[in-house]
Amino acid sequence: MTAPAVDGNTTTAPETLATLDLFVLARQAVAARDSRWSRRGFILRARQPQANDIVPVPFPFRNGETDAERLERLASIAAAGSPPAIMPVPTGEAYGLDTLRCFALCRLALPETPHVVADVTTLGPRLAQMAFGFGADALWAPIVAERALRLGANANNPALTRKEAVTLIRGAGLTACERMADGTFQEVTT
Amino acid sequence: VSLAGIRDKVRAGEPLSLADGVALFQHPNLLEVGALANEVRERLHGDRTFFNRNLHINATNVCEASCMFCSFARLQPGDKGAYTMTHEEAWGKLRARVAAADPITEIHIVNGLHPGLPFDYYTELLAGLKRIQPSIHLKAFTAVEIFYFAKKFAMPVADVIAALRAAGLDSLPGGGAEIFAPRARKKICGDKCTGDEWLDVHRTAHRMGLRSNCTMLYGTIETVEERVDHMLQLRALQDETGGFQTFIPLAFHPDNNALMKLPAPTGVDDLRTYAVARLMLNNIPHIKAYWIMLGVKTAQTALWFGADDLDGTVQEEKIYHMAGAETPQAMSPAEIVRIIRDAGRTPVERDTLYNVVAEGAALAPDGPYRRDVRRGHPKLEVVS
Repeated sequence: MTAPAVDGNTTTAPETLATLDLFVLARQAVAARDSRWSRRGFILRARQPQANDIVPVPFPFRNGETDAERLERLASIAAAGSPPAIMPVPTGEAYGLDTLRCFALCRLALPETPHVVADVTTLGPRLAQMAFGFGADALWAPIVAERALRLGANANNPALTRKEAVTLIRGAGLTACERMADGTFQEVTT
Repeated sequence: VSLAGIRDKVRAGEPLSLADGVALFQHPNLLEVGALANEVRERLHGDRTFFNRNLHINATNVCEASCMFCSFARLQPGDKGAYTMTHEEAWGKLRARVAAADPITEIHIVNGLHPGLPFDYYTELLAGLKRIQPSIHLKAFTAVEIFYFAKKFAMPVADVIAALRAAGLDSLPGGGAEIFAPRARKKICGDKCTGDEWLDVHRTAHRMGLRSNCTMLYGTIETVEERVDHMLQLRALQDETGGFQTFIPLAFHPDNNALMKLPAPTGVDDLRTYAVARLMLNNIPHIKAYWIMLGVKTAQTALWFGADDLDGTVQEEKIYHMAGAETPQAMSPAEIVRIIRDAGRTPVERDTLYNVVAEGAALAPDGPYRRDVRRGHPKLEVVS
């Protein structure tokens, strides 16, 4: 089993995470994220992998699963060697609160995994941003220089401009950082 | 202003100040603001979450006003995309629901400010709907429309309301409030009634015994101080009349309008606005997460950040879809019930005045069940 989650004042063993109140779970996930990243949020570019890229491991989840089932699968992932990034991805229809709760579980059940990633393509920008309130620390999105209006055939285009991605992260109360070619992260100051 | 101080006030039932509201908007931890709003929401309503079966009729999109955030209006009858329904076309919307045995309880009617329609177009529109289904509740005409009728037809506001009421009007929707702050209002919708005039129409309606809703458009050019001030003005009128039932924060949609270069409000801004509204408006019973504007997922999440109502089945919403809303134009009651239950809440079908139409087993085509998102047991459980 993985190490217990820490929220500064209390610790919660993974097997009891499923019993936590939504807000308590979220607070613990945010505290765990902030203890590692000090309220920084990262832009990860969804594209063909390049050297030094962090490519998140998808964590598929579906409507109707229990927390216990998800925690069991997360424990298996941790036992096999914690990935550098985990990305909850709904398979089929997913509800907002269930998705957000899944992010908190990922953050708390995989303490050795640096990044919990919100995929703008599957979640949409609104829910992806909300995931930062439930332990996520990075956005995974196609980043484009200029985005056409989301109308007609372009209505569901998940691409974000860099400025939009930064706005989402800052709007969640985090300092926006982007990954540089050498693999380091740099704060966005513009 | 500290969150602890605000929490003490909230728990003591004291109204929050402008400074408190601004502090809530600026507090770095959304979760703490949301948890406090949820505390108030659960104190008022427990897990109960309301919806209704309704139909939207937007009888015309011809509108003299040129609000910058609007994608629905056309300035002239002949403009591309302009339309005005005949009475038969509008009544046909209700006849279709009746023929489909859809037990809707409300029709929500909001229109453009058409310069060429006579007053009896509106009274006959209402009267015809009542003739088709006398029990239907007609929630019709924003305060902006009522004020426009008063000016255009040279009638006092009270006489306009009385005439519409005689034709079948039952309550007023909350639209058109936008943002009351003159600075922002002048820029984004300077040619419609002022905030004071909007409030005065609702004051008059309340004094005549009608109930109404209230709204706030957020995410354009307003400041957080202006958002809080808007809420305080609504709270003051509610202290005076008690006529508001529901506050509905309306998220700005940027596509197809003159403000398309502005970003849409983000999910965090949505949730924070709902939470602050629940905390500031301690005298308005309900906060509605209008799923058409927010999207279903955000609206569902808002049920844990102060909201207790999802609006209704809607049918044929036009105003926000012309502004780029990506939601469906209607949801079935079963879908709404499922969304509420999957949020760990208890669905209650209401009528417009929040009388209970159905709840519990009566709302469960596949058996009564609940899902405890809060405690993390998302399996559906059969309950007695």
